[in-house]
Amino acid sequence: MNSNQAAEKDVPVPDPVYVNSRREAIIIFRVWLCALLWAIPCSYLLGYTHEFDPAKFSTVWGIPTWIFWGIGFPWLLADAFTIWFCFCSMADDDLGEAQEAASQEAQQSSSAAGASS
Amino acid sequence: MNSALLTFLIYMLAVFALAAVSNHLLKSKSFLSEYFLGSRSLGVWAFALTFAATSSSGGSFTGFPSKIYTYGWVLAVWIASYMVVPICSMGLLGKRLNQVARISGAITVPDVIRDRFRSTTMALIAVCLIVFFMSFNLVAQFRAGSLILSKLLSGVTAYESATTALGGFTSQFAFLGNDPAYLLCLMSFGIAVIVYTTYGGFRAVVWTDVMQGVVMVLGVLILLPLALFAVGGLPSATKIMAEMTPPRYAIASVQMENPAGEPQVIGRDHWLLLDERDQVTRVFRVATPFTIPADVKSIDGVELLELTAEHDLRKIVPGNGESPGTEYSIRTDLKIVDVTGPTDYIGSATLTADSKRKLQRGDTVPIVTDTGNTLQLELLENATVTAESSTSVAVRRRDSDRRSIDGITVLSASVNPASYRFGDGQAGVYVTGPGPSRSSMNGFLPLSLAFSFFFMWAIAGAGQPSNMVRLMAFRNSRTLRRSICTVAIYYTMIYFPLVVIFCCARVLIPGMEVEPDRIMPEVAVFLTERAGVAWLAGLLVAAPFAAVMSTVDSFLLMISSAIVRDIYHRNINPQASETTLKRLSYLCTLLIGVGAMIGAINPPRFLQDIIVYVSSGLAACFLAPMVYGLYWPRINTFGALAAMLGGFAAHLTMYGLGTILNGSFYRPYLLFSFDPVIVGLAASFLTGYVVCRITPPPPADLVSKYFEKH
Repeated sequence: MNSNQAAEKDVPVPDPVYVNSRREAIIIFRVWLCALLWAIPCSYLLGYTHEFDPAKFSTVWGIPTWIFWGIGFPWLLADAFTIWFCFCSMADDDLGEAQEAASQEAQQSSSAAGASS
Repeated sequence: MNSALLTFLIYMLAVFALAAVSNHLLKSKSFLSEYFLGSRSLGVWAFALTFAATSSSGGSFTGFPSKIYTYGWVLAVWIASYMVVPICSMGLLGKRLNQVARISGAITVPDVIRDRFRSTTMALIAVCLIVFFMSFNLVAQFRAGSLILSKLLSGVTAYESATTALGGFTSQFAFLGNDPAYLLCLMSFGIAVIVYTTYGGFRAVVWTDVMQGVVMVLGVLILLPLALFAVGGLPSATKIMAEMTPPRYAIASVQMENPAGEPQVIGRDHWLLLDERDQVTRVFRVATPFTIPADVKSIDGVELLELTAEHDLRKIVPGNGESPGTEYSIRTDLKIVDVTGPTDYIGSATLTADSKRKLQRGDTVPIVTDTGNTLQLELLENATVTAESSTSVAVRRRDSDRRSIDGITVLSASVNPASYRFGDGQAGVYVTGPGPSRSSMNGFLPLSLAFSFFFMWAIAGAGQPSNMVRLMAFRNSRTLRRSICTVAIYYTMIYFPLVVIFCCARVLIPGMEVEPDRIMPEVAVFLTERAGVAWLAGLLVAAPFAAVMSTVDSFLLMISSAIVRDIYHRNINPQASETTLKRLSYLCTLLIGVGAMIGAINPPRFLQDIIVYVSSGLAACFLAPMVYGLYWPRINTFGALAAMLGGFAAHLTMYGLGTILNGSFYRPYLLFSFDPVIVGLAASFLTGYVVCRITPPPPADLVSKYFEKH
């Protein structure tokens, strides 16, 4: 085994569940941000008014227009994205077996840490 | 027995049957893992519905409907982030948390924290925070369940008799409150939930959640067409709402035409009319129940709610519109002789005196405000004030010609605006933002709060320990993927339809502002009776009841697992036998349930306020440590602990400042107009990051254990 191979062996490999989960969490956070930047400003611009004018007030299927475009429509888009994301983008990772015994070990080590501190 | 009650009893029997089967399963598996985590084996439907049902608490079916009713369409904005709640609250942490819990063998959230950060101290702090916040929430949920049950049982002979008997007993004990009906329902609800949760454990909770989840969505899907039909279509309902103006609160003097020989109790379901020139001009609903003593002709200081919307008036006033108003208890024997104007500020004050004094209605007493100003409070009723004890009396803030009475001390005063500070007299407030508000000049949901709530439901939802426990219990990542989709569709079928249903309710049932938390069962009974399917009310009322039960049972288990597993088993007696743990788990669940039941005897008024406080507090404490622990290898114990305590302190500070500056714990201080959850989370993430950076990195073996492939 040459020195490069030895070095490669020493380089820790990140846990794939950790890597995939982090990637997915970043995507989800961006989706939340997009939903926020659509729903609230859109609702505010279209529906928040201090001078209510009945003549200008409109509805879509009985839902105030500002609620329909500000909340209802992006809600349907968010559902569509969720379904696509879960079936086409999220990785099927092996989460491993529950290490029930590990808890005892961790407990002992934490007790020891607690005692030492 | 009425048919609605029969339907409901069948539902309850099914819940107990599931608990019995779960208890049977407990005998064949490792007790703690099965009792508190269902042996990490939840499939798609079980996981999705237990997650959804636990999140859809009593707030979703009592507090949320009451807010829709009170503030109108703007609640769609308030709840808007539920469009991304499933993917956020399950997807952000789910897979990774499940894996970390498997690596460490954790079965509770403090377990995960203890093992991930190797800190017993941090785990114990987590236990304390969970017990603190969840106890608050349990009280709110118990109250919600009791209110729903009392509506369902009203009119049942056996229930009425039991209430009367209990009333005779409880009248001797002031701490039991003055509402025996509520107390009876609280006991029935509490005992039922405590028994099946204690007996069946996590598995029973999950299975009942599945059933309750189905009942909830069925309830909403049945209510929706009934409401739309009753109101004549959604366009019609929204058009009427656009013309509505908010009601006004008032204080009145009421006179009885023929004084009765025995005391007359006038409840919130009674209506009073004010006639002028033989024409009914104003319509009032009793806002606070009152009693007219025997042989007394008139009474002062009666709190009323005045309807101002033309549509509502036509529904109540007999012979003046399409509805004869027969379903309303109009007290024609009571006459309003005086009513304060809507611009007055009304409320109550607690008085004491240097010697015994008799005060007359109209007398004024001075009060010095926090800012040093002296205001005059005018008494709205006669009162005798003594030096030995304090006396509560109805007052209004108004300058009066009458002289101020010396020697009287105002210990405390609570004065509320009689009319809405935002939206009073304005048409259109129920169909536009920010919605009407009694307490704020900026309306119910100004832009900053809309941002806060979008943040809160989705992001803070991910930080709820009750959700985290469920994320530790699913079988594999395939289950997680499918469950997220299921919950997304499920929430879409529940939350937006709820907004529609209770906007219709605003049009159908006027004056429910006096007791908004009762609107859900009120609507269920109203709609089913109108449609000629009264038996269906049992199922519909079971929906919110199910929501409350599924939340209560989960929280009960959370608290008992925190005590049994995290305190006793892991700190006091690690060698405890399974029999000991089993007995202790049963005992803890039982005691905590009973404690919450006692706490709910005299709970605060608005459920949703408690739920918001608890949800935001838990998120401020747990989200940052968990996110750091799962995704940041550099995080150490100091950083995680700082994040947890920093979030807690910042959140509590906002509520503490609110108590001082706004006079109520449930009106927190809004830093830069943002909800405390934003402040708490920002403080938590920031403190955690800074403290972590200035302290040594975590042990290499700990990082390797959780972040590297083995």
